[in-house]
Amino acid sequence: MIPVTYRASFSYLLRHPWQLALALLGIGIGVAVIVAVDIANASARKAFLLSMDTITGKATHQVIGGPRGVREDVYTKLRVNHGVRAIAPVVEGTITIDGMTLSVLGIDLFAEREIRDFTGEAHTRDAGASDRSTFFADFFLTPGAVTTSKQTAEDLGLIVGDVFELLADGKTRRAELLAVFPDGGNNALYRLLVTDIATAQEWLGRAGWLTRVDVRIDHNDEATLSALEAALPDGAQVLSAAGRTRSTSEMSKAFMTNLTAMSLLALLVGLFLIFNSVNFSVLQRRALIGVLRALGLTRRQLLAMILIEAALLGLVAAILGVALGIMLGEQLLHLVARTINDLYFRVNVTGVGVDAFSVAKGLVAGVGAALLAAALPAIEATAYQPRLAMMRSALERRARRALPTVTLTGIGLMIAAVVLIVFSGKDLVAGLTAVFLMILGFALCVPLVVRFAAIGMAPAAAALGGTTARMAVAGIASGIARTGIAIVALAVAVSATIGVSIMVDSFRGSVGEWLEQTLQADVYAGAQRGAMDPALVAAISDLDGVEAVSTRKRAWVEDANGQTQLRVFEMPRASYAGTEILDADPAAVWPAWESADAVLVSEPYSFQHGVGAGDSIVLPTGGGPREFSVAATFQSYDINASGIMMSRATYLRHYDDDTIDSLGLYLHNEVSANEIVEQVEALSNDWQALYVTSRAGLRQESMRIFDRTFVITNVLYWLTLGVAFIGILSAMLALQLERARESATLRALGMTRTQVGGMITAQTGIIGLLSGLAAVPLGIVMAWVLIKVINRRAFGWQIDMSIAPDILLVSVAFAMGVALLAGIYPAYRAGRSQPAIAMREE
Amino acid sequence: MVSEPLAIQARGVCRRFHEGEREHIVLDGIDLDVHRGETVALRGRSGSGKSTLLNIIGGIDAPDAGTVSAAGIDLTGLAERGRTLFRREHIGFVYQAFNLVPTLNVADNVRLVLELNNVNSVKASERINELLDAVGLADRAGSFPDMLSGGEQQRVAIARALCHKPAVLLADEPTGNLDDATADAMLALIDQLVRTRGHTMLIATHSMHVASHCDRVLELHNGQLEASTGR
Repeated sequence: MIPVTYRASFSYLLRHPWQLALALLGIGIGVAVIVAVDIANASARKAFLLSMDTITGKATHQVIGGPRGVREDVYTKLRVNHGVRAIAPVVEGTITIDGMTLSVLGIDLFAEREIRDFTGEAHTRDAGASDRSTFFADFFLTPGAVTTSKQTAEDLGLIVGDVFELLADGKTRRAELLAVFPDGGNNALYRLLVTDIATAQEWLGRAGWLTRVDVRIDHNDEATLSALEAALPDGAQVLSAAGRTRSTSEMSKAFMTNLTAMSLLALLVGLFLIFNSVNFSVLQRRALIGVLRALGLTRRQLLAMILIEAALLGLVAAILGVALGIMLGEQLLHLVARTINDLYFRVNVTGVGVDAFSVAKGLVAGVGAALLAAALPAIEATAYQPRLAMMRSALERRARRALPTVTLTGIGLMIAAVVLIVFSGKDLVAGLTAVFLMILGFALCVPLVVRFAAIGMAPAAAALGGTTARMAVAGIASGIARTGIAIVALAVAVSATIGVSIMVDSFRGSVGEWLEQTLQADVYAGAQRGAMDPALVAAISDLDGVEAVSTRKRAWVEDANGQTQLRVFEMPRASYAGTEILDADPAAVWPAWESADAVLVSEPYSFQHGVGAGDSIVLPTGGGPREFSVAATFQSYDINASGIMMSRATYLRHYDDDTIDSLGLYLHNEVSANEIVEQVEALSNDWQALYVTSRAGLRQESMRIFDRTFVITNVLYWLTLGVAFIGILSAMLALQLERARESATLRALGMTRTQVGGMITAQTGIIGLLSGLAAVPLGIVMAWVLIKVINRRAFGWQIDMSIAPDILLVSVAFAMGVALLAGIYPAYRAGRSQPAIAMREE
Repeated sequence: MVSEPLAIQARGVCRRFHEGEREHIVLDGIDLDVHRGETVALRGRSGSGKSTLLNIIGGIDAPDAGTVSAAGIDLTGLAERGRTLFRREHIGFVYQAFNLVPTLNVADNVRLVLELNNVNSVKASERINELLDAVGLADRAGSFPDMLSGGEQQRVAIARALCHKPAVLLADEPTGNLDDATADAMLALIDQLVRTRGHTMLIATHSMHVASHCDRVLELHNGQLEASTGR
């Protein structure tokens, strides 16, 4: 049976259902955002890892080569000359069917048994898996024969026996769905097309080349591994399959860490809200607490009562939050997956996977945050003398007295944040911790600043709007114990939007300028995926009106340390100016880059690897690992921090790959870009599908993708603002309840409903204004930290910070708007207060 | 006194409250005449309907039946806004719990009512000084309510109630929260201010001692005004 003291306490919450509901909603949304981001991140990562694991199958190692892969005779020699049996060749690439992008896996069905099961488990609708000989024969003999997972076939609207067209390497190919295989655990084989290796080579333009050779070596069989390594030619190497998968998935780690940090911000705002709710519920029950203390409830019992109540509130809210988070997670997952696809690697996600760990995290966050937020008001309540517990003015005096200490603590936290930034090197988590310390520190300074601001505003308010306006302003200062937290919550939420808006705006500006400078050609043409047909390259280069041509190739090289992207260029010297050299004399850089085996490293690469002009780096080449001198660092906003710029001449000297991805066309002055775009499109129509665009078009498309990657950021910040909105609403409603007698007195004295409501509205408007103004400095500092610390550490970018005044103005106006919106109902309630209440004795 | 016109007139005033299925008849056909300048005590036990009658006369509440007029204004049929404007101009309230606005200092608590009545600031300041002087708080004009004693707070409330020269002062247990000595001083102050300024006062109290300060005493019992006694 619940003790009477607890019942007396709980019944308060039940008798104030709106306050209870808002508290639950505030904590719930905070928890929901955390759970949603966690689920979305985990699901995307899990989908990628599962898909990779299933496709890797039983392979423990993989033999890889240079940018084009491994020559196929390497596989033959390993199998025939060296007797390595548990190996299977693979050709991988991407194709599209009716706009849907799929991975294609070219295999040798006979070699598969040792490595993958699913490729051999495909079966036709009629024959079933038992008719293996027919299936094997058809797989080899039917032109364009493919198999795919049941779900993929269903989504493509294909049934076994269907003949369809696909686009591979820019060319339209005919394929036939021979059979379907099971979807794999968690739909791991979604959007995967399996075909014979020869077909894949033909479709992807990889004749004579393999993407890799999958190898299965028993655990601890070092002898076989050594023998395999010894048998490989120069330029080929054997790497751990799991390590390769891990290093690929790690590419998105910084992005996911940033999302998690943003979700924690929502909880931080939620934390203020819980603090607010518990604080209010304690303050409003001071009479009850006074009575209970007078009747003999000990401080310890009182503390336990408040904390247990907070924990229960947190638990219920967390359960609601987890449920909401799972729903929200599904929506976020699409955004996360799209960004990963845009920026890092292909991931096909068919649904969210909710694991117990994510749920547990949400529950712990909810209950933990509630307890943390309740601790201070609970300790405060236990410190009251029974008589004092009934005096509101005593509480406010205590709060006012505590303000200097609170402010000094805040300043201390901000100093700690600066120290952490200075001494934490390149650590991203330390950088994010510093951001949180900064926010918390600043938040603690806000109440004192707001109090002084409100006191300072009072004479002006009285001059402008009379005693009513003075009351509105004075109410903020005198009720700082009640209004302060709501102001802090709104200020933090708005400062986050200011910080992120300035960061995105600065970033956008820097990227825009960078694109303007980097995109030197008038027209760009390239293969959608894979390499351009050499004959088409020649034909385009010969078009009338084309004065000069640059070529580009993006190649990945890999060793045990991970993958490195090579950006291989051949370009007219006049366009060198498009690459901004950061740490060397361009006049000396370019000749070395052209012919002396020197490379340029991108700024992110330079930051993350600690190399620059005058250093050297080792890259895997066709002739084995080789040292290259670094001629300079160049500015780059590419997402891949592993960018190295290499001249085509150097590349051809060290890699067995003469393919080209795209062309930049420099036109004679009198020739229009659109005209050449049309000519290239017409030329490539029957040859190879290309993307062709003018410089302006490419710039526009790049900015579109840039904006798309920040959609998820915006979603998270809107949710954070939603939590802050609830905070203000909750605070104003509670304040209105607190001041019911005051409102009633004013009504009895002759204030109309509109006047009382207007006073509350003015108060919330001023709260919004003060929150917005308080948010500006924090927002600017947060933007600086995001730009100079977080982005630098996460991605290595150096962004020029620019503060657009409209961002600040809009944010302050927005804070006022949010507060005014949240104040509508409390103002309405205050206006409706019954003057008769004032007549009653307390 | 009897030749003075009526400041308050009530005829057949009824007020019922519902508590679930049950109906409580608090006022059951009250007839009341109070002349201008007269002070009347309204006595009765707790829950007898004293505050309800005060609320109805002050335009805070409306009767279920009957008519009420105060300061020459017929409240019957007045909408909520009309009753608010009536209160603002013609009624002064003094409460047991003082009900000062905690965020305003003493002077501003008084100024609030003057401002609502659109008294210009110069005149308002004069009136505030005069009233605070009259209640003995001229030196506490800048103090906030939580810095004042209960008696001081009630004196501010009296100043606030009288500053706009209302026709009728309604006081609901004005000494209920004060000790005897302070209560006596407070009653003497109210009596002096009301009489010298010619206000009409209706005071709800359960105290015979308080009632003895008034010209007439009315007993409210079972929803009816039963007996009246001269001072």
